Amino acid sequence: MNLLSYIIINIVETLLRMMPLPTRTGIIKMGHPGKDSPVLLTGNYHLTITRVKRALKGMDAYLLVANSRGINVWCASAGGHFNNHGVISALKTSGIEKLVNHHNVILPQLAATGVETRAIQSKTGWKVIWGPVYARDIPEFLRNGLKKTPQMREVSFPGTARLEMAIAWAFPISLIAVLIALLFWRQSTPYLAALVWGMALLMFLAFPLYGRWLTAKGKRIGFVFFDFGRGGFQLILWGTVLVGLIIYSLAADQFSGGFILRWGFASLVVIIVLSMDLAGSTPVFHSSLSEDRLLKVYLDKTKCQGASFCEQVCPQNCYQVNQEKHTATMPRAEQCIRCGACIVQCPFDALYFKNPQGEVIPPESIRKFKLNLLGKRLVKPGD
Amino acid sequence: MSTYVLMKILESTASRYDRGIRLLTLGRLDRAYECLASPIKKGQKVLDIGCGTAAAKGATIKGIDVNPEMLEVARRRAEAASFGPEIEFVEMGVAELGSEPPESYDVVMSGLCFSELTTDELAYTLKEINRILKPGGLLLAADEVRPGNPLKWIIHYLIRIPLVVITYIITQTTTQAVKDLPQKVRAAGLVIKSLNPNKLEDFIELVAQKPERK
Repeated sequence: MNLLSYIIINIVETLLRMMPLPTRTGIIKMGHPGKDSPVLLTGNYHLTITRVKRALKGMDAYLLVANSRGINVWCASAGGHFNNHGVISALKTSGIEKLVNHHNVILPQLAATGVETRAIQSKTGWKVIWGPVYARDIPEFLRNGLKKTPQMREVSFPGTARLEMAIAWAFPISLIAVLIALLFWRQSTPYLAALVWGMALLMFLAFPLYGRWLTAKGKRIGFVFFDFGRGGFQLILWGTVLVGLIIYSLAADQFSGGFILRWGFASLVVIIVLSMDLAGSTPVFHSSLSEDRLLKVYLDKTKCQGASFCEQVCPQNCYQVNQEKHTATMPRAEQCIRCGACIVQCPFDALYFKNPQGEVIPPESIRKFKLNLLGKRLVKPGD
Repeated sequence: MSTYVLMKILESTASRYDRGIRLLTLGRLDRAYECLASPIKKGQKVLDIGCGTAAAKGATIKGIDVNPEMLEVARRRAEAASFGPEIEFVEMGVAELGSEPPESYDVVMSGLCFSELTTDELAYTLKEINRILKPGGLLLAADEVRPGNPLKWIIHYLIRIPLVVITYIITQTTTQAVKDLPQKVRAAGLVIKSLNPNKLEDFIELVAQKPERK
């Protein structure tokens, strides 16, 4: 694939980022793979496959595409769409077993929330190796003898990713805004669309400016700004927009109460819609719509044997494993985003969630819930 | 009709699935199931793939499904219909059929499940069904298929696209009708006994048999 089509695919699919875009499942040969070539498995979201293929250019490997219902790896695995059954299915029904003489499969690290290593190994005999978070790190990961640096394990929210999320939200929301405007407020249509795009870009690109105050501490985990009920963040934004509107109307010498009222109302609606789940649109916070964000991970030191699965799968590098003493610690516990990957993967059941009421949610409930949920968002102690 | 898409909506809230599907299909799916299960005789061993909700009585049934919530519904429904220990439910995908012993089932049935599988999975499943069926054993399937007739194909998609959009909004999943199901069944070595399409040719009931040993 040449650069131009790669860029076009990225632009179009970023606009449609909120829709699933499934591609064919099965084996894709990269270069000229042989019996010893590595096998990498990922979900069947078209943009994922496009990017992984580009990252693997010039290498000899098998890329195994499993059914994640056309959804990206992290969302699909947290939502129960990319699960054990999909991975087992890809390994058993694609014919990969006849093509290689090893049983090691590299999975994207972010699938660890929904795919359990133990289940895959016991049902297929294949050993799961957790690869890097981002496809761009795959070549170095393979060259390093399947070792990940801490950077390769951590999700980040750089400018490009923020721009991507801004576009992903702005496009569908501006479409809806335009449709509504065409019916009720025709002359303002282009301005309304511009307002949606402007606010989306402002909110996501300015994330580093306000993101630092949003550490996950205390019972309400610092979601003051994001929390819809309190609306501090939204009020500050709205206030800024209102001041801008007044300055503009005064400068343009057409100050009128009706103008401020109409656009003040429109911008309030746009801000509320865009910030509904701003936290969940970033990879560094848990969705603020789910009460899961109030859970806390605990480490049972008596059970821990330092297997370091937690360290391998944590997208926030919360864990540190002492290889000599065979113990894990959580020096960066405050960074936790409650994805549950560590709990799902721990072979000794040494990790568990506790809810704000102090009730323990054991690993088996979390596995059941994380690995196969459909439409269910909160796990309770009795589940 | 696009029963499957509607089913997908309901599946996201599995506990409401049963009542909802009966309402939406006006009992049609129940009849399809009953009709599908009618060749099953007392004492036979049956595998129900993607069981959702079980049907046949008097036989020994193993129901498999990848969705534990759907299995729970099937289990409750079996209890309500006073099924005994002759029915068991296992959370298992079609890729694990390899662990079933060869020639161990009289009947394999599947309702609205093939359309949920990928091309590789369907080919693998049909091959495995042929392996685990006893000689002379039956495959009973009812599923959404892609109509061969271009006009019907267009009508099918006109009905289907809005439903797909609604399903996506509610469940964030999409589904696909099976292409060339009878050909694929034949390719797996089974002999088609009867094909019963609806008027739009987008839903068929299919009976296929594993040939007797010569």
